[in-house]
Amino acid sequence: MTEMPALLDLAASAARHAAARQSMIAQNVANADTPGYLAFDLEAFSPQVGADGMRRTHPGHLGAGDGAARRIALDAVANDPNGNGVTLEDQILRGIEAQRAHGRAVTIYSTTMDMLRAGLGRR
Amino acid sequence: MNDLSNAINVLSSGMRSQGRRLVHIAENISNADTPGYRRKTVDFQAMVDGGRRSGAVEVGPVRLDRSDLPRIHDPDHPMADEGGYYDGSNVQLVVELADAREAQRSYEANLKMFEQVRRMSSQLMDVLRR
Repeated sequence: MTEMPALLDLAASAARHAAARQSMIAQNVANADTPGYLAFDLEAFSPQVGADGMRRTHPGHLGAGDGAARRIALDAVANDPNGNGVTLEDQILRGIEAQRAHGRAVTIYSTTMDMLRAGLGRR
Repeated sequence: MNDLSNAINVLSSGMRSQGRRLVHIAENISNADTPGYRRKTVDFQAMVDGGRRSGAVEVGPVRLDRSDLPRIHDPDHPMADEGGYYDGSNVQLVVELADAREAQRSYEANLKMFEQVRRMSSQLMDVLRR
């Protein structure tokens, strides 16, 4: 029974990660015609992110993450004449990916909740 | 949820900017035969909110294309000079149409992402509703 809240935590942080990623991709798409803008994305979700363990609580700390996924630059070079580095097709695909990850996490969350309710006999 | 509403703000700023761009393209096309008309262009720039970039986009000030106006020979034209020439407009319809098509594609991409974000937040609402 103690795995259930941990599973809820995991599903919630996966959904949060997918939402943060979708928000970054939204910025890329909105700036698809802004001169000099380069696209970026969030690094992939890992269960360690936000888990217990060493965590950075001060910017001067070394060797531990601050609990949030880091953003990574997608292209080092711009492929448009105006210095813009956003490829719309790529961004839409990434958006679909984030949406599916979010749907998966939310489904796991609600299924776990259903199981908890069933365990409590309040189905 | 905060991320998702931020995404919706950013995407609607993208659609608004592409719409403004299309307005200027429409002005250029309708004035393609106006003597002395210079083509209008806008640049997109990152929106700065309270000193930091919010990730949203806005259109910058309108700029006029400073390239030379074509000299058109028509001695009967009321604006023609002694040599029978007058200044046309520097609008090129092919360029405007290509620009309009690009704005339309970007607008569609923004709308598509908007739809995805909306679906994600309605999934979250469904969890709350249970």
